[in-house]
Amino acid sequence: MWQVAGRPFISDELAAFLESGLSINIGTRDNELEPDGVIAWAVRVHDDREQLTIYLHKAAADAMVRNLRVHPQIAVLFERPTSHRGCQVKGSFVSTRAAKAAERAEVEKQIDGFCADLEGIGIPRALASGYQIWPCAAIQMRATELFEQTPGPGAGEPLQ
Amino acid sequence: MIPLESLTSCFQGLLPSWLYTCSRSGVPNVAILSHVDYVDPSHVALSFQFFNKSKRNIAENPKAKVRLYDPDTMRAYALRLRFVRTETDGPTFESMQLRVEAIASYSGLKGIFKLLGADIYEVLSVEAIDYEPGMPVASPTVQSRAQAEPRLPFTLKALREISDRIHQAPTLDSLLDAILETLENIFGFKHSMLVLASERPDRLEMIASRGYPEGGVGSEVRVGEGIIGMVAEARKPIRIAGILRQMLYAAAVAKRAQERGLTSTDRSIPLPGLANPESQLGVPLIVRDELIGVLCIETDKSYRFHEDDRAYVEVLGGYLAIAIQNALLKERTEEAEEHSPVKPQPAPVPVQPRPQSKLKLEYYKSDECILVDGEYLVRSLPAKILWKLLHEHQAGGAVEFTNRRLRLDKTLNLPDFKDNLESRLILLRRRLEERCPEIQIAQSGRGRFRLELGSAVELVEQP
Repeated sequence: MWQVAGRPFISDELAAFLESGLSINIGTRDNELEPDGVIAWAVRVHDDREQLTIYLHKAAADAMVRNLRVHPQIAVLFERPTSHRGCQVKGSFVSTRAAKAAERAEVEKQIDGFCADLEGIGIPRALASGYQIWPCAAIQMRATELFEQTPGPGAGEPLQ
Repeated sequence: MIPLESLTSCFQGLLPSWLYTCSRSGVPNVAILSHVDYVDPSHVALSFQFFNKSKRNIAENPKAKVRLYDPDTMRAYALRLRFVRTETDGPTFESMQLRVEAIASYSGLKGIFKLLGADIYEVLSVEAIDYEPGMPVASPTVQSRAQAEPRLPFTLKALREISDRIHQAPTLDSLLDAILETLENIFGFKHSMLVLASERPDRLEMIASRGYPEGGVGSEVRVGEGIIGMVAEARKPIRIAGILRQMLYAAAVAKRAQERGLTSTDRSIPLPGLANPESQLGVPLIVRDELIGVLCIETDKSYRFHEDDRAYVEVLGGYLAIAIQNALLKERTEEAEEHSPVKPQPAPVPVQPRPQSKLKLEYYKSDECILVDGEYLVRSLPAKILWKLLHEHQAGGAVEFTNRRLRLDKTLNLPDFKDNLESRLILLRRRLEERCPEIQIAQSGRGRFRLELGSAVELVEQP
C-alpha cells in the first residue's frame, strides 16, 4: 500500500474536501473486464482515514455489488464541478448494507452542497432536484491508492 | 436500444460525461470527458486531450462505458462502447478540435489545451438509467427553460425576408447594419457582430455589431484567437455551447499548467462581445476562397445554437459574403462614374463638444495609430486616412473628399487591387461616432464624403 510513514492515508484536508458535497462516480468491472459505473451521492471518511462509506441509490448499488463480490477492485472519482478539483480513490470493496435513517441528514447535506456547486455551472437547483436518493445503500471500501484527478498536466499521478 | 440520434441534446457539451474503463489486470478507472460527439447512428467520438489512465486502459482493453446527461431534463443515459480507432483528421476531429482550440485561446492555453485525437467508439447499447430519471419534460422547470429561449426556425420564408432586406440596402454601410438587424428580427439572434479582414493578414477588425452597450467598432481580433480568430484561421464554422463549463475546465488545466511552468500566468485575451457568453456560433464569410470576414452570434443562454443552426448560418454566411463583396464592388464602380447623384446623408447627431476647446490628436508613425487627448482612437489604414484628411483641412480648408482621390494617393499605400477602402471608411466613420464625435465623416454622394469638425484640432506627429 502506498502511504507516507506517520501520516494518515487520507489527510484531514482531503477528507474534508471529499465530504464537502461533490460529484461522485464509482467504477467497477465484471468477469469479462466490461467496465461499469454509477453515480453516488455522499461519502464518509472513517476515523482510520483508510476506509470510506459511499452512499448511492439502492438500484445502482445492487448491480454494482454483483461485480464487487467477485472482483473487489473499485475506483471512485470525486470532483467539484466548478473548480474541477478532482481526486480518484482506488481500493477494494469491504461490505454493503442499507443506509440508516440517521445517515440521511448527512447524505442530503452533501447533495445540497453538490447542487449549490452545479448552480455555478448553470444548472438550476430545480433541475437537479430530479435526483432519486432513497432507498440508499452504503458501500464500504478500503482505499489503497489516491490519484490527482484535476484535469491537465499531471492528472492521474499519485497524490502526495 | 434507444436511438443515438434521439440524444442530440446530450452531445452539446453542456454537462460533463463520465468514462469508465478497466485495465487488462482488472483495475477500474473513472474519468471526466469534456466532449462526447455524435458521429453516426452507431458511433460516438470522445475527446482525447491528455495521455491518461483511460487512454492506457483502452489500449489494453477496448471495452468502455459512458454516462451522460440530457441538459434539458437531467435524465441520465449509459452507453456501452467498444473502441474502434483514433482519428487525427477528418470532419469529426476538425469540428471537435476547433471548439477545443477556441476555448484554449480564450484561456491562454493554445498548444497545451489541445485535442490529440477524436477516439471513435462503436455504441453497443444505450439505456436510460432508471434511478436517474431527471425531471419530466412537462415539468415547469423544463418548460420554463425551453420557453426562455424559443427556437426560431430557418424557414424559406425567413430566408426570403433576409434576402429582400439585403437587396434593399442601398450602400455597404446600410447593408452591414441590415444584416445584423435582420438576424435579430427574423431569427432572434440578439447579440451579433461582423468582423472583416483588414489590410493586415493576421488581424480582423469589427465593423458592425448589435446588442452590446458599446459598439466596439475597430476592435481587433487576431487570426487564431478566440472563436472569431479560429473561424478565420480554419475557415470553418464553430459552434460552442456551455462555454462557462468548458472555460472552468480549461481554467483548471491552466492552473495545473502554470504550477508546472508550462504557461505564463496570464496570456488570456478578453472575449469580444458579451462578458459571459454561454453559446457562440461563428461562421466564415468566404467568396471563392477569399475570406471576407466572420459573422459571430452569441448569447448568455446555454445550449442556444444547435447543429442545425450551424448548418443554416453557414449557408447564410456564404450568401452574406457575396452580398458584402458585391456592395464593395458596386460602390467602387459607381464611384468612378461622373455626375453620380448626391445622396444626402442623414443629419449627423449634434456634436457635444468636450470640456476643452481644442482636441489634441497625435499620430504615432511607427504604430500607424492616432490618439485623441491621450486615448486610443484608430490605427492602420483608417488612421492614415484620417490623418491625411485633417492635414488637408488644416492646410487649405478642404472639407469635401472623394474615394477616388484617396485611392490614387500614393502616400496611403493602398494595394492596386481589392483595397477595401470603402469598408475602411465605414470603420473610420463609425469609430469616430463612438470615440470622437467632434470629428465626423458624412457621405455626401457616391464615392464622396465630407469632413465635419465640431472643435478645433491640434495635430501632433510622433515618431
